[in-house]
Amino acid sequence: MYLEGLGNTLLIALIAALIGIVIGVVMAMVNYINKKTGRLKVLSKICNFYITVVRGTPVVLQLMILYFVVFAFWDNGIMIGAITFGMNSGAYVAEIARSGFESVDDGQMEAGRSLGLSTWQTVRAIIIPQALRNCLPPLFNEFIMLVKETAIVGYVGIYDLGKIPGLIQSRTFDYLFPLLIAALLYLAVVLVLTRILHIIEKRLAKSDRNGGGVGNGK
Amino acid sequence: MENKPLIEVRELTKSFGELQVLRSVSVDIMPGEKVVIIGASGSGKSTLLRCLNCLEDPTGGSIMFEDEDLADPKVDINIHRQKMGMVFQQFNLFNNKTVLQNITLAPVTIRKKKLAQAKRRALFGKCEKPIETKEQILKEENEKAMQLLARIGLEDKANVYPSTLSGGQKQRIAIVRALAMNPKVMLFDEPTSALDPEMVGEVLDLMKQLADEGMTMAIVTHEMGFAREVADRILFMDDGVIAEQGSPEEIFGNPQSERLKAFLAKVLS
Repeated sequence: MYLEGLGNTLLIALIAALIGIVIGVVMAMVNYINKKTGRLKVLSKICNFYITVVRGTPVVLQLMILYFVVFAFWDNGIMIGAITFGMNSGAYVAEIARSGFESVDDGQMEAGRSLGLSTWQTVRAIIIPQALRNCLPPLFNEFIMLVKETAIVGYVGIYDLGKIPGLIQSRTFDYLFPLLIAALLYLAVVLVLTRILHIIEKRLAKSDRNGGGVGNGK
Repeated sequence: MENKPLIEVRELTKSFGELQVLRSVSVDIMPGEKVVIIGASGSGKSTLLRCLNCLEDPTGGSIMFEDEDLADPKVDINIHRQKMGMVFQQFNLFNNKTVLQNITLAPVTIRKKKLAQAKRRALFGKCEKPIETKEQILKEENEKAMQLLARIGLEDKANVYPSTLSGGQKQRIAIVRALAMNPKVMLFDEPTSALDPEMVGEVLDLMKQLADEGMTMAIVTHEMGFAREVADRILFMDDGVIAEQGSPEEIFGNPQSERLKAFLAKVLS
């Protein structure tokens, strides 16, 4: 039971993270191009509106709206949960990606454009790789948050890790141990993810020092 | 030297909000001519240079280059920028690319795109199927880049990232990166201002070589010795206009305006 719950939790978090990254990066890119060139004005307004609304309302309400209203016809709770958290996390990822884009020196864009590359060609080859590198650690943090936050899907009756203790309690009337086990499982997952984050950070720091590490020190 | 100017600037103006940085600048740059732009900081000399390839959009006036007005927003500026190399004060090498990739990125990207377009046209029977392949493009551009690197003696740096290089090396690579596009004119925006003094020489030497090969150049610089040696014509910018212009002998030997005299007194002392 716990394993099934854990599997669902991770599945929701993973799909949500993918959706979130796509939404977030696209929105951040629209805003970035809007800021640099003044184009895509309407799209950028829409993105900002989306970010404001999503960040300004509780995720429980968003989940209920999607589950009971928008996708009322659909009984795949896990996918609905994933979509909700994906859309929610997209707004936060957009902010992370924005700071990633802004951390790239303006001169990089100017150099690309001065060589005759278009804005999009420069963004793709130069800006995105550098921005991604800069915001990989906070992105990963967002994913860790996501794993824990998804416990909310229990509200609409999806069996994730956070919901399992309640089920067991209703049968055995034992409160302490089911909760403890669930908590330990969450902790274990988060610890593993944190460990991975540290490895990524170390890698990035290393390639910063010797500039990518390829072709050096041979 | 041909008689038709390569770049024809007419009544160019540029404002940043309220601040008018360029007030009606007109200047011709002839093919093969080396024009050095001097002036105090804030006089608009960098802005003038950056307007030439529309890195700053001009507020008014016209810039004629190959019979097209670059100041016109409808003109595809990317095509023209491919023929105008630019070198920046801060080098602006691509940090996420190796030295070799820095040089080949633009020519490869642009040629690949052209190839894809040609293929699409051929598909509809509008023209012959292109014979070159992506691999060929990559091979050619890599060879060309290696030749350029050999020219500046940095072949051994081809596969390292810019962060491991000295300022002088970075700037020389930035120059050959621009050359890889076979530009008709090179724009230099204070290319030696961010360099340690001992590295200024190597960059100026490379620029002198280019000048000797007949490259058309527009250079914003504070290196007065270099200006005197290389320039065909010197423009003295003051408060958004070209206050005085002439040969190095005229500008340095016989300055007319008080502003230029004061400026020269400051920089030459």
